[in-house]
Amino acid sequence: MDAAPALLLADPGWLQLGLVSLLAGLLCLDETAVAQTWVSQPLPAGVLTGLLVGDPVLGLAVGLPLQLVMIGNLPVGQSFTGDSTTAVVAVVGAAGAAGVSLAPALQGQTPAAQGLLGWLLLAAGLLSLAGHRIIQAERSAHDVWMLQGRLTLRDGSLRRMEFMHLRCLGLTFLRGFAACLLFTVVLTSWWLPAFSSLDPRLRTGLSLLPLLLPGIGIGTMVERFGWRRNWSWVAGGALAAFLLARVGGWA
Amino acid sequence: MTAHGGFDRKLRLRIFFRSLSLQASWNHQRMQNLGLLFSLLPWLQRQPADPNQNRLFCRRYFEFFNTNPYLANFLIGGLVRLEDDRRAGVDVPLDLIATYRDSLGRTLASLGDQLFWLGLRPALIMAVCLVALTGHALGSVLVILAFAVMQLAVRWAALGWGYALGRDILRLLRHPAWHRAIRASKKIAMTLTGMVAGTYVAKVQDFSGVLAGDLVWVGVILGIGLPLLIRKRLPGEIMLLAATALALAAGFAI
Repeated sequence: MDAAPALLLADPGWLQLGLVSLLAGLLCLDETAVAQTWVSQPLPAGVLTGLLVGDPVLGLAVGLPLQLVMIGNLPVGQSFTGDSTTAVVAVVGAAGAAGVSLAPALQGQTPAAQGLLGWLLLAAGLLSLAGHRIIQAERSAHDVWMLQGRLTLRDGSLRRMEFMHLRCLGLTFLRGFAACLLFTVVLTSWWLPAFSSLDPRLRTGLSLLPLLLPGIGIGTMVERFGWRRNWSWVAGGALAAFLLARVGGWA
Repeated sequence: MTAHGGFDRKLRLRIFFRSLSLQASWNHQRMQNLGLLFSLLPWLQRQPADPNQNRLFCRRYFEFFNTNPYLANFLIGGLVRLEDDRRAGVDVPLDLIATYRDSLGRTLASLGDQLFWLGLRPALIMAVCLVALTGHALGSVLVILAFAVMQLAVRWAALGWGYALGRDILRLLRHPAWHRAIRASKKIAMTLTGMVAGTYVAKVQDFSGVLAGDLVWVGVILGIGLPLLIRKRLPGEIMLLAATALALAAGFAI
């Protein structure tokens, strides 16, 4: 195991922090509130944040394993909704501010870079779980505001109805913005510098995490759709891609 | 009956943009009720101002409502048509509007969940991951953007179809193309899952020279096998924590 990269207390830079949080707010709107174009999914959200901090490969390295492990999460109705969007944006934003480069991790060159990637993925998972509580609180606020619409059923004021709906939209944006700001500060001031002081065995374990997560995503898909019904499609696709990767050199 | 031309472009645009935020005020008690009302208000604002009519209109749509957001515009277009007809003096009982909203909402929710959440979404996500695995970061965003444009076009068209068909929308919903599309999207999703798996295994082969080789393969098998072993549909975050525990245990075992 090579030495862990020294990550000092990073200064995220207020302008960059503001832009990253703004992006998180906008992507949170896309998650369920507006249009649901899936740009807010972990992978595209990671790449877009990476572009913002000047390193799209960083966004890809964090976003891809998270995208696969969270493939079973559906942002619908009453189902469990972690805040993976804000978590990914905050993690990539903080890593970008700290000058982390994960290109070696993608090429499998250094276990230390793999370990750092695992550390970032763990942060994203924990932040997404924390975001779940914030989303539930936001939805409770929607409940309270929606019930204020009863006044319109008495006086016929359409502006109140419109205002209530737009207030919910504004709250979603603010939730993403504020949560990302908070998460990024926590990551840059505490989580990232802590990596250097981790036990080397922990870092070795973390270096395996980025390799485990895509497997879980594939297993989740097979479990959901059924192996017996779909084995020929999966096996055919796997064989074709493996041969293309080995013979055609496409990956 | 009102002709299709009654739904002019300006009104259609206003309703379309508002319909995109159908779920913005999602709440546990009545789900998308406020979102539906917000989408329909441009139609009401076109009518002569009458607080009492406004009050009754809001009461009609303030009740529980839930549907799939991608197909909701069929229903919104249909509701605008029914309200237009009613205003024009056609016999459209109020309970028919409520039944239309509730039954069509449920049908579209079921179709949309099958097609979008369980068919197209996994297929698209796997396609995006495949592009990303080949190292094209921007390519993965472009695939998502292409899909976004497509689904917005479908929503725009659905608003017009819903209005044009009105009560005859059942003809559209009975069409076998829906189920063919659901089956096809699931097969595409599984093929792409296989392709991601094949590319992933090829990548891991390259990685195993750097990291502890055998352990990496044990990890890969455990990763793929974990959801199949658990057989419980746990959130991705919980699976990530379970994988972290496995990875750390492996780190100490080396």
